[in-house]
Amino acid sequence: MNVRRLQIAPLLVLGIALAVVVAWEDRDPAQVVPPDRREVVFWHFWGGRDRAVVEDIVARFNASQDEHFVRAIAMPGNNLDLKFFLSVAGGDPPDLLNQDDPIVADWALRGVLMPIDELASEAEQEELRRELFPAARKLGEYDGRLYALCNGLDVRVLYYNKTLLDAHGLAPPTTWDNLNRINAVISPPDEWNPTRPIGYLPDPRRLWAWGIVFGGRFYDEADGRVTANQPPIARALDWMRSFSEQYGADRVSAFRTGDQSLTGASSPLLQGRYAVVMDGQWRVREIMAAAEAARREGEAVTQYGVTPLPAPPGGKENAGWVNGNLFVVPRAANNPEGAWAFMKFWCGLAGHEAEAARACVAGGWIPPTRRVTQHPVFQRYLNDNPLFETFVDLAESENQVPRPVVPGAALFDQELVGAAERAMYRDDAPPSQELLDGVTRRVQQRIEELADEPR
Amino acid sequence: MTRVTPHPQARPLGRIVAALPFVGPWLVGFLALVVYPFAATLYWSFCRYDLLSPPRPVGTANYERLADELLSGGRFGQAVWNTAYYALLSVPLSIALGVSLAVILSWKVRGQAVFRTLIFLPSVVPTVAAAVVWTWLLDPKNGLVNKALSIVGLPGGGWFTSVRESLNPADWSATLTAWQAGNQALLPFGSKDGLVLMSLWGVGNFMIIYLAALGNVPKQLYEAAEIDGAGPLRRFRHITLPMLSPVIFFNLVMGIIQAVQAFTQVYIVSEGQGGPAGSTLVLSLHLFRSAFRELDMGYASAMAWTLFVLVLAVTAVLFRTSRHWVHHQGAAR
Repeated sequence: MNVRRLQIAPLLVLGIALAVVVAWEDRDPAQVVPPDRREVVFWHFWGGRDRAVVEDIVARFNASQDEHFVRAIAMPGNNLDLKFFLSVAGGDPPDLLNQDDPIVADWALRGVLMPIDELASEAEQEELRRELFPAARKLGEYDGRLYALCNGLDVRVLYYNKTLLDAHGLAPPTTWDNLNRINAVISPPDEWNPTRPIGYLPDPRRLWAWGIVFGGRFYDEADGRVTANQPPIARALDWMRSFSEQYGADRVSAFRTGDQSLTGASSPLLQGRYAVVMDGQWRVREIMAAAEAARREGEAVTQYGVTPLPAPPGGKENAGWVNGNLFVVPRAANNPEGAWAFMKFWCGLAGHEAEAARACVAGGWIPPTRRVTQHPVFQRYLNDNPLFETFVDLAESENQVPRPVVPGAALFDQELVGAAERAMYRDDAPPSQELLDGVTRRVQQRIEELADEPR
Repeated sequence: MTRVTPHPQARPLGRIVAALPFVGPWLVGFLALVVYPFAATLYWSFCRYDLLSPPRPVGTANYERLADELLSGGRFGQAVWNTAYYALLSVPLSIALGVSLAVILSWKVRGQAVFRTLIFLPSVVPTVAAAVVWTWLLDPKNGLVNKALSIVGLPGGGWFTSVRESLNPADWSATLTAWQAGNQALLPFGSKDGLVLMSLWGVGNFMIIYLAALGNVPKQLYEAAEIDGAGPLRRFRHITLPMLSPVIFFNLVMGIIQAVQAFTQVYIVSEGQGGPAGSTLVLSLHLFRSAFRELDMGYASAMAWTLFVLVLAVTAVLFRTSRHWVHHQGAAR
């Protein structure tokens, strides 16, 4: 037994040494911080095709620098906000985070984030005030101060299958009446079955969008009151649940399975399962790719179009729900100056428009500032991708509203979407107004509790 | 006369000192990872706490909120119902299935070992992988389960996309009414029923314990019963079941604890949301979301303690009632 032990020991040592050598050799040279630079540890959630775009931005920034060096760490997007929060609680956060969860107010309230005005010079703050799109500003602002810098907006529009609509003699859903006529013609409720395409089916999560389009506001910043029970929002929910009532709640939810997949060939629009869907700008490159593939194969190219969400009578034009990707710098960051330099580079501030335009074109992203959209590189992209123009126009609209940036935003989202799901998927759900009254009461109570806590 | 002095380590204190280096690492782990969180969460359950600011005592506010949500059908009430539904269906079904499979697999037939392995195999699949596979199997459009049901002319269930409950008579009557009206409607099998089905897939863990217990049933009991003219069913009812009852009791208690703690599979099928419409928001998921999504550690701690007391109470009741139905070999009754 002793002899065997003696043989195992050198083997173990050899194995460990080999592993160390392999790990050393395997180090990505792009991640090695040069001795004369200050490291910026950057967590982000970009994966797939976008990850290469992000790595390219980081490489270009590092090449342009002689002071800072960004070391990018791609994290799974799921629970990234939780990982970041725990790293702050544990006292070892990154220098910079890019993510899209509605957490700015919760973190700002707790003193986790460094306000942008502590990072930016007076001139840079003035540039932000002048150039940032309204939605980009609203996304990062809490209690009158900017805590997060938006590097790309996610704008929702209605995509429509023009070929399918034309075949039925239908006009695009550019008006409220047009949209509501589509279902009656393409998928009459008494004849429709789930193997056939459907006109349009609202997603419960998009009450955030339709509530605004119907003329409602979910939160009154001036009074600090939750207003999710405003009559226009209740009307929007009534309209959304009317689809389930006509087609059957179970069949609607079963038909929707898998629709939430973000990208790829499973896109419900490209599959021809819907005539109209609400979706973001990332579908544009899928549509272009599908058209290119069809042309290559010699097949007929399906035509698609985009339009802003049409407003019902009394509603708001060019309105909807907008989200975005946000940079935040934790207060405990080791190198906030380096983080700010990188944020400016990516977002096209302080003379970096060309870099930002290049990044947005590569990723198919909507820039957060007017100046980047006007850059020749981005203008060329718009000429080549006409569908994209609607998104950029909408980014400028004051009626594009993000989820309220309030503490307890996760609860607000869960309560509101939960109410919409109940209305749409449960036959025995209470009236919409009653559901929204409950949401308003509970979220208001939570916000007051949080505001009441001593810091 | 020689007096024998006891070895110093034979004295109690000396023995403890000698043992400490051996149990020390475990003791440190136990104190830091079990006792401290246990005590800390009890304190936090009477506080508002978000991990960053110091905990602030708020008396019984968190427990009052739980009681209010329970009575008004709020999220905690919903989570309690979802958990109870899951436990009420999955535990008895897994016992029934586990016992039946164990009895069948105890028959001496060719390939017995192969069948046993096949039944046990799903239990070694990681929960996450199993949950992903089941979301596909139970997909209402393309899933194998609905396809199989359609072969026998049944419309299939909405499973993880549906809020319906197979235990709810109102959902059955809605389905029947729709059918009578000539409308297409799915069977009322919803998200929680899907979770129950998924739990039954891993019944091999329980089955293996029943199988071991079956091997310990004295053969002469069956022989005596056979001589007395008892058929297979009576032998099962009067010998197999009573002899298995201690193991059934063990699996019942463990099953309830596991059902109340169900998290991973629920997290995967609902993408951490507990949807649709809160129908899979079980207690563990609600606890996780409250603690780490809403940073409401006090409320989550109060929930954890309520959960603990609940499981303790159920287990105590089971122990009390066990003397009426659990048979111990050779024990006086």
